Amino acid sequence: MSGPRSYYLSRRAWETRFVNLALIFVCLFAVFPIVTTITISFKEQADITRKPPIFFPCDTPDKTFEWSACRWAVEGYQRVFAPKPDENALLGWALTGNLVKTYIPNTMMYASSSALGVTLLASLSGFAFSRYRFRGHNALMTAIYAVTGIPLITNMLALYQMSIILRKNLPFFDDRLFLIFVYFGFYLPISVWITKGFFDAIPRELEESALIEGCSPLGAMFRITMPLAMPGLISIFLLTFVNVWNEFIVAYLLVTKNDFKPAMFGLYDFLSQNIINLQVLAAACLIIAAPIIILFLFTRKTFFRAMVEGAVKG
Amino acid sequence: MQKNPAQFLKRFEIRKSLPFWLILPTVIVILIIQVYPAFYTMWLSLQERKGASWEYVGFENFERLTKANLFPESIGHTVIFLVGYVALTLTLGFIIAQLLKRNVPLTGLYVTILFIPWIIADIIAGLVFRLLVTPDYGLFSGIFAERGISVLTDSRSPSIIGNFPFPPSPAMIFLILAATWRALPFITLLILASLQTIPHEVIESARIDGANGWQLTSHITIPLILPTMVVALFNLILGGMNGVGMVFSLTGGGPGTATYVLSYFLYVLGWGQLRFGRAAALAMMIAIVNWFLIFLVLRATQLHKKGR
Repeated sequence: MSGPRSYYLSRRAWETRFVNLALIFVCLFAVFPIVTTITISFKEQADITRKPPIFFPCDTPDKTFEWSACRWAVEGYQRVFAPKPDENALLGWALTGNLVKTYIPNTMMYASSSALGVTLLASLSGFAFSRYRFRGHNALMTAIYAVTGIPLITNMLALYQMSIILRKNLPFFDDRLFLIFVYFGFYLPISVWITKGFFDAIPRELEESALIEGCSPLGAMFRITMPLAMPGLISIFLLTFVNVWNEFIVAYLLVTKNDFKPAMFGLYDFLSQNIINLQVLAAACLIIAAPIIILFLFTRKTFFRAMVEGAVKG
Repeated sequence: MQKNPAQFLKRFEIRKSLPFWLILPTVIVILIIQVYPAFYTMWLSLQERKGASWEYVGFENFERLTKANLFPESIGHTVIFLVGYVALTLTLGFIIAQLLKRNVPLTGLYVTILFIPWIIADIIAGLVFRLLVTPDYGLFSGIFAERGISVLTDSRSPSIIGNFPFPPSPAMIFLILAATWRALPFITLLILASLQTIPHEVIESARIDGANGWQLTSHITIPLILPTMVVALFNLILGGMNGVGMVFSLTGGGPGTATYVLSYFLYVLGWGQLRFGRAAALAMMIAIVNWFLIFLVLRATQLHKKGR
């Protein structure tokens, strides 16, 4: 029976080839805008403002593409980093661009502290929702889910007014603390649902035997259940970290001081300052997105876990 | 085994109140950041700024809002945006998920590459697409200009259906493409995860019974993943209705008002014109639609669970 079998096999082989080809095509589409951004970021001003625009700055008067004639430049990055010689700094250069000096460190701080807080609070309440049946259990879970239906911009109206009033009346009010607290509130509801799912997947027997051995409920939670749930909790941390890193409108409306602006806010400022310096914009985009893309490439399995769990729950 | 009954009782008490203490911080944060502001906005929608304080004006904000020309126009833009974005994302997501499900040797690599757009912030995604069509200097501007199109500055052609903003402006179409590019990975993964739960035997037996590819898709695959498609649909609608970052960086609502979706209109009402009362009225309307959708999702998922 070699005839039909080989026919079947070759059909399969063709199918695989077709699927591969189609997927390569799709991947090219997915990365195309990013690739163009990279090429734009390495162009010099004269090539940016050329008419008609060219994809690669590699043309000569008589040829459209000549590898050796490429005029790659790092002008865009230079203007974002704004390096100045400084004897005390590492490598002898200090980066004085606002984006790298102030905005990205701010974002780093907002993202990591929000993610830490959300993970901590969500793990406590997710544990309680998963392990205990109490009055109002389901109602509270549903209420937390319903809260995710409040549009972010709706709440921003009130939170903006709140921030104005608090700034006026509280002497110790700090934009940064308020912003982080707001991020807690925005990313907690969905995180609680996801962590509950993670805890549900951990068998209770281990914990119960610890309780019988005389371990306190809190001890059992911290010593037994939490370590087991760690991979899930890390995925919550990463998800919140990325969400806060990428968040724009909340910070845009709540932060008033230049020193406290996060990177996305800084990028939006850049947009209005560099209408024709496309290479500067492209470089800024890449510098802000790069840490997140690298983080994603190294931790994608963890990401997918939280994503799927979150999507199925909500 | 307990030697000291008092100690046992105390431990029991702590155990009973433990969930309360564990949940309390979360509930407090959500009350302050989500619930209180929602009520505040409700209150705000009935007020108007008078000097330094607010004055109760009843439903005047709603009346004035619905009379504003931009209100029906923004609804039109939102509907066009959502229809285009949802249809495009679901269709492409389904096709790509079908391709990924074949599990060809390099699938892991493809999935990773396909996911990069999802990890990019909406404001950066908007900017990246803006770089392609910036008037005069964008990479595609030359190609479009030859055909007489300038994506970010052409206003839309006159409506053909009453006041409904159809056909949409080039900027709106481009906004839909950019939003689809960013949302596609997530939806693809969602559909792929659901496709993988379909038992192989079901497909195999249908094939043995003589079903062709199209029949398999329409009679077996789609009905089986319908619940996931519904979840994806609502996810997209909610995300599309409330997301505003991409409008900010890609079009800024323009040209003119051609890409004013409701959430951007709300921003302009509130922070552009400082009419917070009217913005709150609009926010209430958006919130009600949102809750209605969430309610539908809850009903749909619960029905699905009962059905199993």
